Amino acid sequence: MSPVLEVSNLHKSFGGIAAVRGVSFEVREGEILGIIGPNGSGKSTLFNCVLGQLLPNDGEVFIDGRQTTGMRPCDLNRLGVSRTFQLLQVFPQLSVRDNLILAGQEHRGSMFSRLIGRADAGLGEAADRMVGFFQLSHLADEQAGALSYGQQKLLDAAMAFMAGPRLALLDEPAGGVNLTMLKHLRERLQTYHAERKATFVVIEHQMEFVMALCTRVLVLAEGRIIAEGAPHDIRSNPVVIEAYLGH
Amino acid sequence: MNRVGTAAVVGAAILAAAVPFSLKPFGIFLISMWAVLTIAAIGLNLTLGYAGQVSLAQGAFVGIGAYTVALLTQAGYPFALAFVAAGGLCFMIGGILGYPALRVQHHYLAFVTLAFTTLVFLVLRNEEWLTNGIYGINGIARPTFFGWSTRSALNFYFFSFGTLAVLSMTTWWMLRSPWGRAFVALRENPIRALSLGVDTRRYTLMAFAIGSSLGGLSGGLYAPLVQFIDPGSFALGMSFNLLLMVIVGGSGYFFGPFVGALVAVLLPEWTRIAQGYYLIIYAALVMVMMAFCPSGILGLIDRALKAVSRSGQVTPAPGAKGIGP
Repeated sequence: MSPVLEVSNLHKSFGGIAAVRGVSFEVREGEILGIIGPNGSGKSTLFNCVLGQLLPNDGEVFIDGRQTTGMRPCDLNRLGVSRTFQLLQVFPQLSVRDNLILAGQEHRGSMFSRLIGRADAGLGEAADRMVGFFQLSHLADEQAGALSYGQQKLLDAAMAFMAGPRLALLDEPAGGVNLTMLKHLRERLQTYHAERKATFVVIEHQMEFVMALCTRVLVLAEGRIIAEGAPHDIRSNPVVIEAYLGH
Repeated sequence: MNRVGTAAVVGAAILAAAVPFSLKPFGIFLISMWAVLTIAAIGLNLTLGYAGQVSLAQGAFVGIGAYTVALLTQAGYPFALAFVAAGGLCFMIGGILGYPALRVQHHYLAFVTLAFTTLVFLVLRNEEWLTNGIYGINGIARPTFFGWSTRSALNFYFFSFGTLAVLSMTTWWMLRSPWGRAFVALRENPIRALSLGVDTRRYTLMAFAIGSSLGGLSGGLYAPLVQFIDPGSFALGMSFNLLLMVIVGGSGYFFGPFVGALVAVLLPEWTRIAQGYYLIIYAALVMVMMAFCPSGILGLIDRALKAVSRSGQVTPAPGAKGIGP
C-alpha cells in the first residue's frame, strides 16, 4: 500500500537562500509524524511546498500515490488534505459555527448546487458536533474574532477537521497556548486520531507536546533532515541535542 | 435577521411605498434615483463590501447598462430584453475585469478598475457611430408592461422600487447561501480560504461579475429614468459617488447601500438651501461622518446596539469564560 504522503527530494530556495534542501520522507496511514527543528530550519517552507502554497524548485510530492506537486491548495483540500497555519487563521467576522461550516461547505456538491442549496450546506449539525467536540458550544454564535487566543487556536484546529480530512498538516498548533489549553488540544487531537484513523503531520516547538502526541519524529536543520525516529530516540539523539535541543 | 430587524425592514418598505404620494414630481424623481442607484450600490457592496475586491468601475457598468438599454430600445427591441441584455453584458465584462484581481489587490486593483472606467468613458465619447458621442442619446422611452405604462413619475418610481425589491431579495438569498460565506472568507483571509477548499479564483470572478451585472441593471433603469444619457454621466464621478454610498452606508452591511444611497442622493439636495455653498457643506458633512464612523452609518448603529446589548447582559461578555486563557 502506498504511503498517504510521500515527499521526494524536495528543494526550495528564496534567492540565494536554500530553505529546503533535498528533503524526502513518507507518512503511513494513521501515523502522527512530528517535524521539529530550530527556527529557520525550513519546516514551514516544507509544509507550504507540500500544500501548494509554494512551488518547489525541485522534487515531488505524492498524496496516496498521486503526484500533487504544485497543485492548488483548494484542489488538495478537496483530495482530503487540510492544514492549520503557524499564525492564527480564522475568519474573525464570521461566527464560530459559520467558520466551521465554511471549512466543510466546499466539499458539498458543485458551486452551483451550493448557490441554490441550503444556507448551511447541510453542515449545521456537523458544525454543532464539532464545536461540542472541541468544547466551544457556548461560543458557537459568537464572532470568531471575539474569542480568546487559545479558543481561536482550538477553532483553527476544528476547522482543519471539519471536512473529515485523510491527512492533516498542523503548523505549530500549540504555539502561544497555555498549559491547560495545550493539554486540552492534545487530548482533542488524540481522540480525533483514534476515532477517525486520520494521518497527522505536526510541526511543533513544544517538545512535551510532540513527544506525547507523535508516533515518529523527523528533525530538520538548515533545510535538511538530520534525524528521524521514535520520540524517545530523538530525545536522546546527540545530533539532535547538538543542533536543536542545545543541551 | 431578528424580529426588530424584520420590523424595521417592513416599516421602511411601507414608508418607501407611501412616501411618493406626498411628494412633488422632483421629489419622486429623487427617490426614483435613490432606488436605481441603490441597485448599483448593492452590486458594489457585494464586490467590495463582502468579497473585499476594490472597484472603481461600478459607474462604468451603470453606463454600459444605460447605453445598452437606450440603444436596444431605440432600435425597437423590447425593454425587458434590453434590460436583461444590460445585466448579461455587464456580467461578462465584469467577469473579465475580475481577472486582474487574481493578480493584484487593494490600491493596485483600484487603479486597474479606474483605468477601465476611463476606457469606457472614452469609448462612449469617441465611438460616435454607436453612442452618438458627446451629444448623448435623448428621448429614451419608459417601458410599458401589459398595458401598464411607467411614463408617469409615480409609476416609474414603483417600477424602480419593485425592481430594487426583487434584486435585493435575490442578493440577500445569495449572500445567505454558502456563496456569501465564501465571499466573506475571500475578503477576510484568502489564503486560509484557499486551504479550506474555497476556489478563490472562481469566487473572485463571480463577485466581480455579479456586482457588475447589478451595476448594468441599475443603468438599465437609469436610462429611462433620466431619458437622456451622455458619456459625462458615467465618468469617474459616478464611480466615486457609488463608492461613497457603500462606504457611508456601511461597507459589508446588507442594508448599507440603501442608507448610503439615501445620503448621497438626498443630502446634496437638502443642503441646497445654502445655495452656492451646498456642495462644500455636503463634502464637509461627509468628511465629518467618515471621521467619526469609518464603518459607516450602519456600522455605528451596529456598535451602539452591541454596546446596549452588552450593558444589559448579566452573564460575562463573549470570550470571558470557557477554557481559554
